[in-house]
Amino acid sequence: MLLPRSLRHVIFLTVTLLLMLATHAFAVTAIDCFSCHEREPFQKKVNHEPAASGECLSCHSPHVARYRGMLQMKVKDLCYTCHPEAEEQQRQGFVHKPVKQGECLGCHNPHASDQAKLLKGPPGEICFTCHSGMPRKFKNTHPPYAKGQCASCHQPHQSPYANLLVKGPDALCLGCHSVATVRQKHRNFPAEPGNCVSCHNPHGSDRPALIRNILHPPYADGCDNCHTGKGIPVPIDTCLECHPEISEQMSSSHNHLVRYKDNGCMACHSPHAGDDKRLLKGKERHVCGQCHEATFKRHDEAKYSHTFTDACNNCHAPHGSNYPAMAKAPINTVCSECHGQHGVFSHPIGEKIFDPRTGQMMTCTSCHATKGSDFPYHTRYNGKKALCVQCHATY
Amino acid sequence: MKQIRILKPLTRLVLIVLLIMLAVTVHADSSWQWEMSLRVDKVGESMYMPSAVAFDSENERYYVVDTGRDRLVSFDRNGKLLRAFTADGQLKAPFDMVRLDNGQLWVVEKGRNSLTNIDIKAKKVTPNTIMDGERLVFPDRIAYAGGKLYVLDRASGQVLRLNDDLTVDQRYGCPDCSAGLYDFVMDQDSIVALEPRDKKIYRFNLDGTVAKTINLGGVIEFPVSLTVGPGGFIYVLDRHQNCVLAYDDDGQFRYKFLRLGQAAEEVYFPRQVRFDPWGRLCVVDEGNGRVEVYAP
Repeated sequence: MLLPRSLRHVIFLTVTLLLMLATHAFAVTAIDCFSCHEREPFQKKVNHEPAASGECLSCHSPHVARYRGMLQMKVKDLCYTCHPEAEEQQRQGFVHKPVKQGECLGCHNPHASDQAKLLKGPPGEICFTCHSGMPRKFKNTHPPYAKGQCASCHQPHQSPYANLLVKGPDALCLGCHSVATVRQKHRNFPAEPGNCVSCHNPHGSDRPALIRNILHPPYADGCDNCHTGKGIPVPIDTCLECHPEISEQMSSSHNHLVRYKDNGCMACHSPHAGDDKRLLKGKERHVCGQCHEATFKRHDEAKYSHTFTDACNNCHAPHGSNYPAMAKAPINTVCSECHGQHGVFSHPIGEKIFDPRTGQMMTCTSCHATKGSDFPYHTRYNGKKALCVQCHATY
Repeated sequence: MKQIRILKPLTRLVLIVLLIMLAVTVHADSSWQWEMSLRVDKVGESMYMPSAVAFDSENERYYVVDTGRDRLVSFDRNGKLLRAFTADGQLKAPFDMVRLDNGQLWVVEKGRNSLTNIDIKAKKVTPNTIMDGERLVFPDRIAYAGGKLYVLDRASGQVLRLNDDLTVDQRYGCPDCSAGLYDFVMDQDSIVALEPRDKKIYRFNLDGTVAKTINLGGVIEFPVSLTVGPGGFIYVLDRHQNCVLAYDDDGQFRYKFLRLGQAAEEVYFPRQVRFDPWGRLCVVDEGNGRVEVYAP
């Protein structure tokens, strides 16, 4: 059935006008922006679709904006409008710090790049901009690390596995190093191949076979120092025989002993080799984070928080302590190690000053929340009034 | 007109009933009312890092294990401080305790890794090192039921039932769980235990088999203690969120209460939750040096 002739004319005219208008708007946007902004930085091997199609106004405001770069909203919010999956990702599992902080532009160029995924630099290089403390190469370097193939083991945004691994640690190693090969190289190893990073540094080492640099002296001396037979687990008592000071530390009200297979020490320590004399199975951030990830999250998400929290042992005794929160000493002493002056001139604290609310000794933590708060200097309440009136109600 | 005249008060009535129902529902979700604090008020003598509360239903007493001051502090049923007991200064970081019907106390002393027997009448303190076969046991939580002592071993993450000579009679554990058991209570003819890392609750039969497993879900952050209420609800203490979360016996999360702070319904680094013999919920509030008692 045909429409009346007059109606067809109206529809034709409307469509034509709309097309003209759209073309004009596109031309104006593109021409206007590039009349001042050079085109060259926007034309590379990989171009961000909105920039390539001249849709500058999808991210920027042309006249005035609240956000740097004349952006319409915060960078992460802007990115998430088109990449909602990235927003969803950062709510689950382990999340890379820049992603958590919404620093998309830390790694990606929003307009164009010569690298895939609009990365700001070659994949290996870009990781070192933040992870600058890591050596570029070791005496013996794991080939993927040497080639800058960080992404072969790590996810850049989020992962269900610690250290942002692409798979579980054992599955990851055994993906390239077949079980048969591993067995062949560990002929007397009493268990199935696994827990590789307990002895091997996945990035590199001074030792052959990427064995971590510091060897546990009894291991360097021979297996029989600890192992009594194939398949027989080494109990915690064996560790404590040589480390009586640890036994003493664990005999405390806040005892950090945990069950881990047949020996709780192995939850955090490698019995054979490590990167420093503590023989930890990784950095404190990751070793402690196995159980205390939520604490790190709270610290990271707080508006105001204490620095250096990743170095847990600066404040906490890892094996046990007779002080609250497993502090390595009375909390005022711990804080005064860095904040010496505060111990002298601040609000009265110490053994002879008592919190009127509870009768407990006044400490730095009576007012400050070490894992962060919504208030400057991470005080527990607003320092302008609410904090003080907790105890000084009549003021 | 007559119909409208009737409708108006009827609407009002319905609204009032709805409001009352809403209020009752809200109240039901957080029905625990602060009743009293077990605390030592004398300046400079307050409890320091209390870790456990125990009960004597016969004499209507509470015992609070005051770890930081190496003493056991007793209170009457109304919260009145009775006395502080140090066993002549022999206690070393006491952590948990039970009182037997004959008046003897069993105290876990972390300071010397001992399950210590205190015979108050005989004025005798006997420390004991517990072994499970060749393996050293690190006693943590303790309970007494059916004439047997039950001890949580931190090293193996198992609850151990002990014979009279303190040898191990039965083990209750979760070999496939991540961190082992961290707290437990006796509930009728079973043991209800908390696995904090996997955020699970295990109910064991007395023969060591697992009768039921409950997943606590994502609402909980750092569970450290649990108890079972008279109505079957399970109450789990979250040390980092500073609150108690209530689950029904099917493991459905129902509500949570308490928050961070120092006031009546606030806690700071709470350490243990238990029901007293009179149906009141006791929260050992370590950071504030007290035990908070809530009535239903």
